[in-house]
Amino acid sequence: MTECNRDDIDCRTAVEKLWDYLDEELTPERMDDVRRHLERCGECLPHHDYARVFLAALSAAREGETRAPDALRRRVIDSLRAAGFTS
Amino acid sequence: MGTNDADAGLVREMSASSDTTRERDLRFEAEALPFIDDVYRFALSLTRDAADADDVVQETFLRAYRSWHTFQPGSDARRWLFTITRNVFLRSRERERRHVDLEDGDLEALNTFAAHSDMVRDGSDQILSRIDLAPALRRALDELDEPFKSAVLLVDLEDQSYEAASQILGVPIGTVRSRLFRGRRILQDKLITYARDAGFSTAQRGQRGSKDD
Repeated sequence: MTECNRDDIDCRTAVEKLWDYLDEELTPERMDDVRRHLERCGECLPHHDYARVFLAALSAAREGETRAPDALRRRVIDSLRAAGFTS
Repeated sequence: MGTNDADAGLVREMSASSDTTRERDLRFEAEALPFIDDVYRFALSLTRDAADADDVVQETFLRAYRSWHTFQPGSDARRWLFTITRNVFLRSRERERRHVDLEDGDLEALNTFAAHSDMVRDGSDQILSRIDLAPALRRALDELDEPFKSAVLLVDLEDQSYEAASQILGVPIGTVRSRLFRGRRILQDKLITYARDAGFSTAQRGQRGSKDD
C-alpha cells in the first residue's frame, strides 16, 4: 500500500473513522491522522465533542449495580450440581 | 500383570480422575462463577425480561460447565461466558438470525454525523442537554433491536474491543463495526424523539438566553 500524506485526510475520511477513533480502534498512525484533522477542522470537532458526550452517557447507562438475584444463584448451582458439579 | 496390580492401577486412575474433576470444578467455581452478575446483566439487557434472563443465565452456566474443557486457561472467562450467553439468547430468538448486515461502518458513521449536522442546524442538538441522558439511554437500549443491541451492549457498556465483540458474536469485525455504528445512530434518533415527546422543542434554541426556569 502506498503511503499517503498523513497530514491530509479530508473531512469525509475523518468522520468515517470518528467512532473508531473514539473507540481507540485505529492504528497509531490513523489515530494521529484523525487527531490532527480534528485539531484544525472546525467542522469536524463539534462532531467529535458530541460523540464523546454520547459515548460517555452510554457507558454511564450501564446498570452498575445489577446483581444476579440470590434465587438465581441457587438455581444455577443446583443445575450445575445436577450436571455433576462438585463444589 | 496380576489382579492386584490391575486393581491398584484402576484405583490410581479413578483417584486421578476424581482429582481432575475436583480441580476442574474448583477452577470453574473460581474463574467462571464470579461472572454471574456480568452474565445476568448482559442477559437482562438482551432479553428485557427477568424470567427470560434467569433462564438464559442458568443455561449459560450449564453449557459453560459442560464445555469447560474447551476454555483456554488464562484467557478471558468473561468474554467466553458472553459468547455462550449470546448464543443461548439467539437460540431462543431464532428469527433474529435472518438479519442482513449492510457491512458498511464508514457509511453508518457518515450518516450519524450528517444527522448530527442537521441537529445542529435546527437546534435539536440542544435538546439533548435538557434531558437526563442515562435513563433515556437505558430506555432507548431496551427498545433497540438485535443485532444492533448486542454490539452496543458489548462495546459501549461492557467495554469489549471490536475484536472481542467479533469473537463473542461470531461475526467479522466489519460487521461488528456496522452494527455498532447503526445501533448508536438509532439510539441517537430515539433520544431526540424522547426529548420532543417530553415537550422540548427545537424552537427553544432562539430563546436559550431568556429561558431561566
